[in-house]
Amino acid sequence: MSATVLKVLAGAGFAAIAVALSLRYRLGRAREIAIAAARALAQLAVVGAAIALVFEFPVLAAAFVAVMVATAGLTAGSRLRELPGARARSLAAIALPALAATGALLASGAFDPTAREVVPTAGILIGGAMAATTLTGRRLLESLHDDRGEIETRLALGDSARMALAPAIRRAVHTGLVPVVDQTRSVGLVTLPGTFVGLILGGASPEEAAATQLVVLCALLAVELGAGLLLAELTQRAVILPGERVRRVDVDR
Amino acid sequence: MGLRPAAGLDARAVVVSLGGRVVVHGVDLRVPPGCVVGLLGASGSGKSTLLRACVRLVEIEAGTIELDGEDVGALDARMLRRRVGLVAQTPVMLPGTVAANLRYGVAGLTAAALHAALGDAGLPASFAGRVADELSGGERARVALARALTRAPELLLLDEPTSALDHETAEHIGATLRRLADGGLGICLATHDLAFADRWLDRRVALT
Repeated sequence: MSATVLKVLAGAGFAAIAVALSLRYRLGRAREIAIAAARALAQLAVVGAAIALVFEFPVLAAAFVAVMVATAGLTAGSRLRELPGARARSLAAIALPALAATGALLASGAFDPTAREVVPTAGILIGGAMAATTLTGRRLLESLHDDRGEIETRLALGDSARMALAPAIRRAVHTGLVPVVDQTRSVGLVTLPGTFVGLILGGASPEEAAATQLVVLCALLAVELGAGLLLAELTQRAVILPGERVRRVDVDR
Repeated sequence: MGLRPAAGLDARAVVVSLGGRVVVHGVDLRVPPGCVVGLLGASGSGKSTLLRACVRLVEIEAGTIELDGEDVGALDARMLRRRVGLVAQTPVMLPGTVAANLRYGVAGLTAAALHAALGDAGLPASFAGRVADELSGGERARVALARALTRAPELLLLDEPTSALDHETAEHIGATLRRLADGGLGICLATHDLAFADRWLDRRVALT
């Protein structure tokens, strides 16, 4: 039996344990867990095949990255549907910092401009930007709803709409940054992150794996902050109305 | 507390819709300087919305609202809100102390002016150091009034200012409003409190 098949079987075994635990403790999540695992299997199979194709035909790398960005924009946008133009705004908030950082990493020589390095690097940064966009956006939308009284009080006291929104923006951007800051702070102490593990398993030296992980983590810090700030700016443009007013936002929870 | 020259408010045939529903139906409202005008009407009759429209927190659909003869729609919204004090029905305290709330956006407010505003709202000077977020509803209502007064408004709008107050404090607020009006300030307040209205209002406008 090949190592690939063994790994798939091991993964299926762990999924089965999770389903069994959910059933045993009547958590009502067994079906969801099983579907998630099956989806992961199907998606990774497709992605594996697609990446193999990209490695064979490097010209496809740009298209692959474009699909990742579009999917991330749609995913984050679907979480922020109360925001007018949520998908387009999410797409911009994810694409700009993630692609700019990927370009900077390639231009600086930190990564080689090959499909084998571009695709995973862009993928990590796009994924981070998506998470930050979703978290920042959700927190901001909830704040626009829950803190309506505070925002309107600030407006009534003569603040501009941007000044009135500033505390909500700060809270939202802070929330969006928490996971990456924690991940960066605890790296090596609590977890060994994916890039490091992947490189070690792929045969790289620990020194090389650590250096690569460091640059990825630091790039993620900048990208996720950039994505959160950009989403906050685009949200402000959507909710600030003429006459220094702020659009009322109703949120689904 | 120093007051700026008072300004009169003149609203004519004002219509406001919220979420596609007409909330204010062609209301006329005149608040001359030196006068305490009450907005009376059932819940949902548009009293709060009309007050918010006067400072452009909601836009009017039809009619005109003028402050000292100037269409408020043509005024800079921030300047308008600095000239007209609005105290909401459920006042929100900003983070920090009562003093921080009273000083918010007011450069160079002296301790004497701060304490005078607290006194006008029926609160002792010692209240300045209290954490605003820990106040009761009635205390918040009075701090919100003091916060509006520290800005030396040309016109004062209050939404149910006595709804969270006991009779004695409400009377103190009524006397303060009377004194401010006697000093030339125009005041408009929405209220359900008919006894308060009988005692302190110069004029009433009924909303249906």
